[in-house]
Amino acid sequence: MRTKQEYLIRYKDRNLYCELADIWIDPSKPVKQALITHAHFDHFTFGCEEYISTRETAILLKERVGDNIKIKTFEYGEEFKINGINISFHPSGHILGSSQIRFIFAEEKWLISGDYKLQKDETCKQYEIVKTDYLISECTFGLPIFKWDETNKIANDISKWITNSPEKTSLLFCYSLGKAQRLLNEISQTNFKGNIYSHDSIHKMNNIYKKLGIDIKDTIKIENKKKIDELKGSLILLPPSLSKGSYLKNFKNIQTAFASGWMSIRALRKRSGYDKGFAISDHADWEGILEVVKKSEAKNVFFHHGDSEALSKYLVEKESINVLLFGK
Amino acid sequence: MSLKKFSELFGDLDSINSTNNKIEVLKNYFLSNDPIDNSWAIYLLTGKSNKRFISGRYLKNLFSHIYDYPQWLIDKCYLKVGDSAEVITLLLKNKTDSRKKKLSNISLNELLSETIPSLSKLNEEEKNLEIKNLWERLPEDNHLIFNKILTGTFRVGVSIGLITKSISKLINIEEEIISHRLMGDFKPSIDSYEFLINKNINLQELNSKPFPFLLANTIENKIFKNSINDFQFEWKYDGIRMQLIKRSGNVSLWTRGQELVNESFPELIEKMSHIKDDFVLDGELLVWNFKEQIAFDFSLLQKRINRKSPSRSIQIKYPIIFIAYDLLEINGIDIREIKLENRRIELEKHFSKWQNKTENNISYIFKICDLIFPKDWPDALTYKEKSRENNTEGLIIKKKTSIYSSGRKKGIWWKYKVDPMQLDAVLIYAKAGSGRRAGLYTDYSFALWKDQELIKFASAYSGLTNIEIKELDKWIRKNTIEKFGPVRSLKPEMVFEISFEKIQISKRHKSGIAVRFPRITKWRKDKKINDADSLENAFELMKKIS
Repeated sequence: MRTKQEYLIRYKDRNLYCELADIWIDPSKPVKQALITHAHFDHFTFGCEEYISTRETAILLKERVGDNIKIKTFEYGEEFKINGINISFHPSGHILGSSQIRFIFAEEKWLISGDYKLQKDETCKQYEIVKTDYLISECTFGLPIFKWDETNKIANDISKWITNSPEKTSLLFCYSLGKAQRLLNEISQTNFKGNIYSHDSIHKMNNIYKKLGIDIKDTIKIENKKKIDELKGSLILLPPSLSKGSYLKNFKNIQTAFASGWMSIRALRKRSGYDKGFAISDHADWEGILEVVKKSEAKNVFFHHGDSEALSKYLVEKESINVLLFGK
Repeated sequence: MSLKKFSELFGDLDSINSTNNKIEVLKNYFLSNDPIDNSWAIYLLTGKSNKRFISGRYLKNLFSHIYDYPQWLIDKCYLKVGDSAEVITLLLKNKTDSRKKKLSNISLNELLSETIPSLSKLNEEEKNLEIKNLWERLPEDNHLIFNKILTGTFRVGVSIGLITKSISKLINIEEEIISHRLMGDFKPSIDSYEFLINKNINLQELNSKPFPFLLANTIENKIFKNSINDFQFEWKYDGIRMQLIKRSGNVSLWTRGQELVNESFPELIEKMSHIKDDFVLDGELLVWNFKEQIAFDFSLLQKRINRKSPSRSIQIKYPIIFIAYDLLEINGIDIREIKLENRRIELEKHFSKWQNKTENNISYIFKICDLIFPKDWPDALTYKEKSRENNTEGLIIKKKTSIYSSGRKKGIWWKYKVDPMQLDAVLIYAKAGSGRRAGLYTDYSFALWKDQELIKFASAYSGLTNIEIKELDKWIRKNTIEKFGPVRSLKPEMVFEISFEKIQISKRHKSGIAVRFPRITKWRKDKKINDADSLENAFELMKKIS
């Protein structure tokens, strides 16, 4: 067996790093060269000398970091070389532009899953099965208690939640990039036909999605509402950061909900402080992770971004898959 | 009409915070379901059924066995979820393939009066098969309710008061009547539901039941402006509040939790049945030190509460007494509407004689509550401060002109409790909570100094706000020295003010003391661990009191 120093990709300062190419993946500190899997804030940082990502991620990044960053883009599946290593992006189904990153060096394949989900999502490309020798997978929801319902079932639940309380204003909290657009897309296919408002941060992302050819229902910027009474019976999408504090005083007679995979657990739902929780996630559930591990045909698997203890033990015991640990 | 509807109701109640909306949802549920299911719904929602058909552990083992699922994986999931019934419900979502024809319309009644009780008649193997069968046939949305009923852990944020309010709204009858009807043994049946929603108030049927209890409020300063002569003063006993009823020759003893407890205290029932009058008495049940005429510690009473048909030796070892402080009904006449001072006269008139009579002497099990006569408010305070000497918790102050209404009505009865005892202690262990506190470290152990060592003296679960709990949880995770299963030993750094009601010598604890009702009353961020109290301080406190 090889020692960890010899791995093509390893953990360095709590980030994934490929020494041979001197390149970091989703680094949390400024570096020379950063491969970015997707444009969520916990996957990139300001101040890198050069970013490399898919075209869509690059556009989203610029919206968030600013136009003046140096960024190189590639299409999904397009291979490029750094120091003799072949690198390519592949759809991960998480949000628009999100990708897995594959490294090939000396006939050895490495795959960094990025954040991913297998469920259908019309606002981004479907997860692509990529074969690999080494897999580095996220495992945010790495316990079998996580099993996602069909997206349209959740969307119908949300629709019912709004229409059952026509006197109220329904505030649905969700991440402004990805989750919000997916929800908009799904909710527009339900029986709920009322007005949908969204917070400026969500509205901006909606516009980028639309520019990139994704069909998103039009929403009204909540900042543009005229009278408080016009909000009765409508849906407002807001980022979770606004759920606490004085912002809610802008509304009257509200009901609140949070859209997140964690909401499948009653204790978390009750503790969250929202009236209701909808368990919808852009991450893979337990079975999703198992499916990816198996279909990737990886002989060696690493996990990060989550509690991997149960998942690792299960794969070793039940599936005889070699699960490795990164040295910290 | 169905379990499905009830599951929806559960989901709604679980996600609605406003009381008025909950009442509305309940009212609509009662309107749209049949009487028998409604009676079961009330039975479940009021927590009258917590019969455990199988344990949570059994449920988890069974799932592991049926689906060849590793036990350790289920345990790992449990740590995250904190409820066996819910863990299994969530895991069952991964098992949807082998579903048979669905039992989508099973009624609540069928499930609760036939399906589940019949499980107890099966042998283990048959029982396991039947539960598997039910898992496969019940629609997914019903699994949580099913598993919770099986494990006797069905709970939802609905108080009996809320049910009372919604039924009262439904049929437009005063809450008092409904709460009266809901008291005691509620056996789910069409009859019991129809009795509950009967628009005609039938006194005959109400007869066997206790009156709704009148509860005392915590004292407010404004009362000290009144004349001391407006009030009646009693010691606040630390026992169990009860109503002792004799009607048409039958004696019954009811707790405030609406439980009929005749079987636990047969000697009292027997003695009281010799009294000629019919009555409803309000009072306190205690284990009594007849020699010194004071109550024994509450812990002795605990030895009696949960024991049905206690043996003669238990009865002698833990002698009980009923201390009557109010008379609510005498020989069929409801006197709750007459003034307290006059009720007191009636109480003495009818019951003093039984205490003195040699034949059928009830003085060894019954006593009229003594009154205290402070001359002014400062004197009342002196009495209160002395209350620990006779093992009481303070004073109860009752307005002489008040009638006996129900609930915690303001301005009628006040409790004037002795201040709790307090020590500043250091947090040394934390344990993860369960249920809605799953995944958070919410069970804490505290220590006092003994020379240079910190000795554990109490554990407490309550007293912090949710925000503080989260903050402390974060701190705990960062300052763990060692983990032993769910318990973490912590860097001694945080000081808390711990309040408790009683302190006594205990050989079972390393500290040598045991405290009652310990709770956190303040997070003393201003204090360093060297400022925390020592065991010596604790012993001094004990001496001061006794």
